Amino acid sequence: MAAGKAFPFAYEQHDLSNGLRVIAVPLPWRGVASVYIIVGAGSRNEVEPGRSGFAHFFEHMMFRGTPRFPPERYEAELQRMGAASNAYTDDDRTVYHTTLASEDLEPLLEMEADRFLHLRYSEEDFRTEALAVLGEYMKDSAEPLHRLEEKLRDTAFDVHPYKHTTMGFLRDIERMPEMYDYSLQFFGRYYRPEHTTLLIAGDIRPQEALRLAERHWGSWERGSWQPDVPEEPPQNGLREARIEWRSPTLPYVVVAQKAPAYCDSGPECAALDLISLAGFSEGSELYRRLVIDEQWVEHLWANHVDHVDPYLFIVTARVKQPERLRDVRQAIEDELARFAAEPMPEDRLERVKSHLFYSFVLGLDRSESVAAALAPYIGLRRTPETVNRIFDRYAEASPADLVRVAQRYFTPQTRTVVTLEEVAQ
Amino acid sequence: MKALPFPDASPALSVRLVFLTGSASDPAGREGAAWLAGHMLAYGGTRRRTYKQILDFLFPRGAALSCTVDKEMVCFRLDCHRDHAEEAAELLAEMLGDPGWREEDFIRLRDDALHYLEAHLRGENDEELAREALYGMVFRGHPYGHCCAGRVGSLRRMALEHVREFYTAEFAFDNAILACGGAWAEGACELLRQRLKTLPPKARNGAGAPPAPGTEATGMLFIEKPAQGVAISAGFPIEVRRGHPDYAALLTAVSALGQHRMSSGRLFQSLRQHRGLNYGTYAYIEYFPGPMFSLEPEPNHARRQQIFELWIRPVARQQAHFALRLALAELEKLAEEGLAPDEFERTRQFLARHAVLLEEARSAQLGHVIDSLFYGTGTFSGWLREQLAALSAEDVRRAVQRWLRPGAMQFAFAGEDMDELRQRILDNAPSPVSYNAPRPAWVLEEDRRVQDRPIEVPKANARLVRAEEMFE
Repeated sequence: MAAGKAFPFAYEQHDLSNGLRVIAVPLPWRGVASVYIIVGAGSRNEVEPGRSGFAHFFEHMMFRGTPRFPPERYEAELQRMGAASNAYTDDDRTVYHTTLASEDLEPLLEMEADRFLHLRYSEEDFRTEALAVLGEYMKDSAEPLHRLEEKLRDTAFDVHPYKHTTMGFLRDIERMPEMYDYSLQFFGRYYRPEHTTLLIAGDIRPQEALRLAERHWGSWERGSWQPDVPEEPPQNGLREARIEWRSPTLPYVVVAQKAPAYCDSGPECAALDLISLAGFSEGSELYRRLVIDEQWVEHLWANHVDHVDPYLFIVTARVKQPERLRDVRQAIEDELARFAAEPMPEDRLERVKSHLFYSFVLGLDRSESVAAALAPYIGLRRTPETVNRIFDRYAEASPADLVRVAQRYFTPQTRTVVTLEEVAQ
Repeated sequence: MKALPFPDASPALSVRLVFLTGSASDPAGREGAAWLAGHMLAYGGTRRRTYKQILDFLFPRGAALSCTVDKEMVCFRLDCHRDHAEEAAELLAEMLGDPGWREEDFIRLRDDALHYLEAHLRGENDEELAREALYGMVFRGHPYGHCCAGRVGSLRRMALEHVREFYTAEFAFDNAILACGGAWAEGACELLRQRLKTLPPKARNGAGAPPAPGTEATGMLFIEKPAQGVAISAGFPIEVRRGHPDYAALLTAVSALGQHRMSSGRLFQSLRQHRGLNYGTYAYIEYFPGPMFSLEPEPNHARRQQIFELWIRPVARQQAHFALRLALAELEKLAEEGLAPDEFERTRQFLARHAVLLEEARSAQLGHVIDSLFYGTGTFSGWLREQLAALSAEDVRRAVQRWLRPGAMQFAFAGEDMDELRQRILDNAPSPVSYNAPRPAWVLEEDRRVQDRPIEVPKANARLVRAEEMFE
């Protein structure tokens, strides 16, 4: 494996007195800058009953303008800049991102500060936007993977907001138009500097970027709200669910295990990341057996996505031969058990570490990619150093660490299995 | 083989190697041959190495090797770290020049292609289903007329030998453009040029890409399948492509109408921002691969024949007729009036600056260089900026009047209860909408004008099919 830090770029990090964190990363690509505004609120913050999907809905409302920049003017300005601008909401964060010519950095930061400080929209616009969210749900509903995620979360979790997807439960989305007052409350709680990190990456001068941030964002008032996120009780038995898909599809099987909250001070999360690749990626033995040799499976992969609170380690297979669905599930469960039973050969583990390092570094090929790669880590720990910390844990992880972690987390009692199969119409 | 090195000091090597062939060159009855040939090279073994051995090489190096097959281009893409540049380029040369043609690889990849048509398009992605159906309608009887992955019947009948024949005839040395960027770019260019001399020197004469067969009558295809919403795609062929004198004018007009995944377009504003009808509506004058997954177009899908395309993301069934009428009204308004001066300036400026962003990543930059050779434009962003600089609002008005007033348009719908929607459209039934909140008077006034807007389609041209019948 190559030497060097996984995140190879120098950066400046500074907290304004209101709590807003500003991170400036000068990059070698000329003329372009990416601005990522990372708000530490996502669907994890939807703690009240009936409010699932609200963080995502609120992301939509952030494009509904201010007195100074009504939506038409905001759009026109972005267009003049030639900017590529969008946003996304995840479990633990909401991210607003724009890539543009670096010479336009100041007007963009000014306009973005204006909407974070002075957002204002009518109830009529709020109600209309709720329908666009329903439209988004409608497009997602045609994808089996979306339904699988929905069912998996609902089955695996009892009380934690990870029980629902970022889109939210359909019943809550349908009620969104009635929640105007709550939306104002939501904005007041979470769209505050102490929950937000401003990441500016690209052809920039860091001190200048920090000065611009101070000038335009310095007057943002700090808030005080902390969500009371319910703790998920331990799972004490296998859970199973089945989805019937009324259109043509290939069957899917998802095997998920409860997993710990993100942590880069110990080996657990790093070990689960390594297992996800060692066990279920193109570099794994199981992939070779199921996809290439037996050809029972079209795609096989595992996700261990970092989360603020304990979430899931998820293995998914898209099965080519419907009659093999049960065998594929068994093969995945056997593989999980094998990780707990026997240490992986050292050289195999080294190959996985090498893969992680090189694929991360190769992804850093422009300002936008660097900012996008940092955003999840900043969402967790508010610093790019998080990348180097977790890569240090990868480097340290031993075969024995993987066994210990697998023994702890890959038990049938904390497993949830969801299948999706086509049914005759 | 044209070989274009773009060396720089980066830690990565990027390679794009495009063969100027694709599904338009599939022999009749062997639709899918180009797809399978490309995939056998990229996702199968070589004579010396099995596919598993290839994965053993790629995985620990974090290297990525992939293939896309389009109508007139098959693109192989390699990205790896400079630590492994030479051995990765050697591997790519071996994969392209000395394939293994193993039956087990063929069966696996043919099944994948079949599943793409039979499961993914028919049952898992209504929006792409409607888009593919639209292209099938516009290009019926044309070399572009089938999905790049082929047809279900032809794939089932395909033998490994047919794929080898396609490879031998089409993947020729003089038929390839190679672009390498980053670390060791010159070395990679030289190595690939030398190693691939084993390819046949010349490709057979391909099927070519004549203009789309014109049609006098509007056509509609209603694809019945279970769904919560209705996905709609509509379009018609246009002669304008990159390099054409009207390209910049038409691009400006269509960007203002519906720039991909941006909220500035008129369609987005009208359907979503003011009315909440769906998640978004966009317009194109070039094929955009996988628009539901990408914010930017992946290069190396260059085509000599393009269509104007409207992409209306899923709409509730009760509002589908109205949404379609509204989108068509926006198109008609643009075709009649062109752009207002400030909208023209804004959009022109957007395109000139945005084109630079599209080429920021090294691999995308290489892809655009290859596309620029295909279209004969010189560097695309440079060419486009020149064209835009010389453009006037009057040029745009002339271009939209010439190109966006089709005699006939094709429509594809995917969703449930399609018979009812079909009947409503055939009857030109009114399609009033109601809202969950008061809307401005101008919106309601516009709704009243749009809700009865006729869409004329001969009954015989409004066909109803089940999703399971598609791509046969």
